[in-house]
Amino acid sequence: MKRRFLSIMLAVMLASSLAACGNSGSDANSKSNKSASEDVAKDSSDSQKADSKNDDSDESINIYIGNGVFDSSMDPVKGFMSYGYPFVNEALIQADVNSNYVADLATDWSVSDDALKYTFNLKKDVKFSDGSDFTAEDVVFTYNKVKENQANNENADLSRLSKVEALDDYTVEFTLDKPYSPFIDIVAQLQIVPSDAYDEQKFETAPIGTGAYKVAQYDANQQIILTINENYWGETPDIEQVNIISMSQDTAYSNACSGQMDVVMVTSTYINEEIEGMKLHKLETMDVRNISLPTLTKQKKSDSKGKEYEVGNDVTSDLAVRKAISIGINRQEIINAAFNGEGVPAVNFTDNLPWASTDDYEDNQVDEAKKILEEAGWKDSDGDGIREKGDLKCAFEVIAPGNDEDRYKLATAFAENVKELGVEVKVRNESWDVAVEEENTTPIVWGWGQYSPTVLYSLFDSEMFLEAQYANVSGLTSKECDEAIEKAFNATNLDDAYAAWKEAQKISDAQYPYLYLVNIEHSYFINENLDISEDTQIPHPHGHGTPIICNLKDWVLN
Amino acid sequence: MSNKLNWSRKMTVLTLVIFAALYLLIIFFWGLFMNPGEYAVNYDNKLLMPSIGHLFGTDAMGRDMFKRCIKGLSNSIVIGLLASLFSSVVALIFGIASAVWGGVVDRFVKLAVDLCMGLPHLVLLILISYMLGKGTLGVTASVALTHWPGLTRIVRQEVLHLKSSQYVLASQKMGHSPVYIAVHHMIPHVLPAYLIGLVLLFPHAIMHEASVTFLGFGLPKEMPAIGVILSESMNYITTGKWWMAVFPGVMLLIAVILFDVIGETMKKLWNPNSGNE
Repeated sequence: MKRRFLSIMLAVMLASSLAACGNSGSDANSKSNKSASEDVAKDSSDSQKADSKNDDSDESINIYIGNGVFDSSMDPVKGFMSYGYPFVNEALIQADVNSNYVADLATDWSVSDDALKYTFNLKKDVKFSDGSDFTAEDVVFTYNKVKENQANNENADLSRLSKVEALDDYTVEFTLDKPYSPFIDIVAQLQIVPSDAYDEQKFETAPIGTGAYKVAQYDANQQIILTINENYWGETPDIEQVNIISMSQDTAYSNACSGQMDVVMVTSTYINEEIEGMKLHKLETMDVRNISLPTLTKQKKSDSKGKEYEVGNDVTSDLAVRKAISIGINRQEIINAAFNGEGVPAVNFTDNLPWASTDDYEDNQVDEAKKILEEAGWKDSDGDGIREKGDLKCAFEVIAPGNDEDRYKLATAFAENVKELGVEVKVRNESWDVAVEEENTTPIVWGWGQYSPTVLYSLFDSEMFLEAQYANVSGLTSKECDEAIEKAFNATNLDDAYAAWKEAQKISDAQYPYLYLVNIEHSYFINENLDISEDTQIPHPHGHGTPIICNLKDWVLN
Repeated sequence: MSNKLNWSRKMTVLTLVIFAALYLLIIFFWGLFMNPGEYAVNYDNKLLMPSIGHLFGTDAMGRDMFKRCIKGLSNSIVIGLLASLFSSVVALIFGIASAVWGGVVDRFVKLAVDLCMGLPHLVLLILISYMLGKGTLGVTASVALTHWPGLTRIVRQEVLHLKSSQYVLASQKMGHSPVYIAVHHMIPHVLPAYLIGLVLLFPHAIMHEASVTFLGFGLPKEMPAIGVILSESMNYITTGKWWMAVFPGVMLLIAVILFDVIGETMKKLWNPNSGNE
């Protein structure tokens, strides 16, 4: 018995010592933290010291930006960083802070009147990090390589590209089969690799690019060390070395507490904490969280290959239910409950995207929502607080997929909020495998946010239903919507395309196939001496915290 | 003098067992009949420190941790109960059959035992639970299906030992069938060892349920369970929300230790010679 008692004591002591790095008693902690940080590797302690202000050599920072970077190949040909925040390779154009496209490796570009020819003039005197010159040949090579290996890269769909030619060393011409307005998004996403040095194997971990940084060391699932590319065409960055570190979030937070990290991405769980020497920054994103609401009644449907699927949901298939929920819930209250107030209420894609619909509607219209439900026959006749129509209870499940604590919290807060309307929501946490299997029958919490409007095609077009994972899971079938999307694809200039995309959203929004909840914000604890140049941060695309490195070259360590 | 000492030791043992049984029974029934509203989400009470109103504090969704712990432990006990009942019945049948029939049956049972014990237990648990789609079914089945080998060996040894005893031999000579012998002579004799084994299986089953759930292969997140609570609390422990991990952990530990105490005590009472083994 004595031994057992000892083990209890040890367990309790361990738990309380783990808890020491808390918000309370930060005074005592910071003292011990200082002594701890002195033991840290030379490079990170340099960044902590104030006297390194004038000493510009050997500056390095440790950053934790989630582990997404470590999960995939670093080869742009295979789609690395194609959401628009690359740091080693660069694309011909890039999005600026207002989501407009500006030149990157190109100097300017023109589109023919029939929108079939895109001509790009390239920057001269640009070199890859291995010293070779960047020319039109590299662009041609990259695009052909992706087209040949299209299966490896679903993010850059080049199926409408018929050929790409180098008119001279610094001019590239793309010819399309038929007009495809999102082609410009692909040009912004696809980063150029050198034609001579490209090696499929090596580029997995050590790509060669024209960007401000290059990969100096790659340790799988541990760290990626970036150093300055001496051949970079732009202004030399201030920070010599960037260590992207892979760890779990609570480890990252603990390391930040002990002064070893300069940037730590955190979820809303941590945003009310304080770390000495660091400041919390909330950055704008284009990332929305929505819940799919299947629009079909329960039935079986087959895809184009004849495979049969169970689709639909008897409760959410009623437009009245979908509409009542959409206008009846209080999004701000949900955000406060789930995310400690981090994020902005959203009823649509974010307006920092030029193609996103700006049609807003008021939420928290509880009375109006109740009226809609009553009129549709959903009444609470047995007094249990949940409406029913005949034998059917106004209740459905919502899946919060994956290991994402935030989506689970969001779904739970939504379930609490929607109770007031007399609708019962049960939240389930499932792996993505299970979620995908049920995607056409059970509402799921999704996250969307990218520059390319092709996401609308995938979400709303009837020909995508059952054809691909995550695509049109609500089962929307609207001929007008399909036509608007087709019009957007075929538009010969961006203004027409954006107008058509907005039209497609207007048509689909009337059906409320997705319940938009929040435009999330990305939160980071950032070393007070580090300036991440918030003015040049683009609105973050979807990427679980990684997009902060979009302007790595502008960061300054004081 | 020695009588008195003996008596007081018996009293201590008895009090201990009664206390242990009471503690576990209270948790079991309290959790079983608890209204889900008592551990429901309440965003006004997010992350409260332990207080009179909330003995174990609250979590990030404002759920009362004490009630969640009780409900979670109760769920664990239900699973532990199912698992140890199933395991012990399997062990009893396998053990006796293997010893009585011998030959092919014995070889088969020994092979099955080795197969089960050859794999690391936790790996086997995860494997079975994952195969059955995780969730309540997965974890219950995996815990139930992997706890019989140890007990089977004990029962088999006991029965082998009995087989050569006089009265079993006499019974055989009188022409009784193996089944008759098993039911009338073997079972009553192995019952004490079996019951002790059953009780001692409990803490294992509960611990394994909690660990499989903790690792994300067991009970779903929306169900109150110690494993779920502990894995959730990992997100908060670095920010100093110690109560979310400490109390549930201690509760689990106490429950497991109490089952162990009951089992060990029963062993001493029913099998006094075990000290000489």
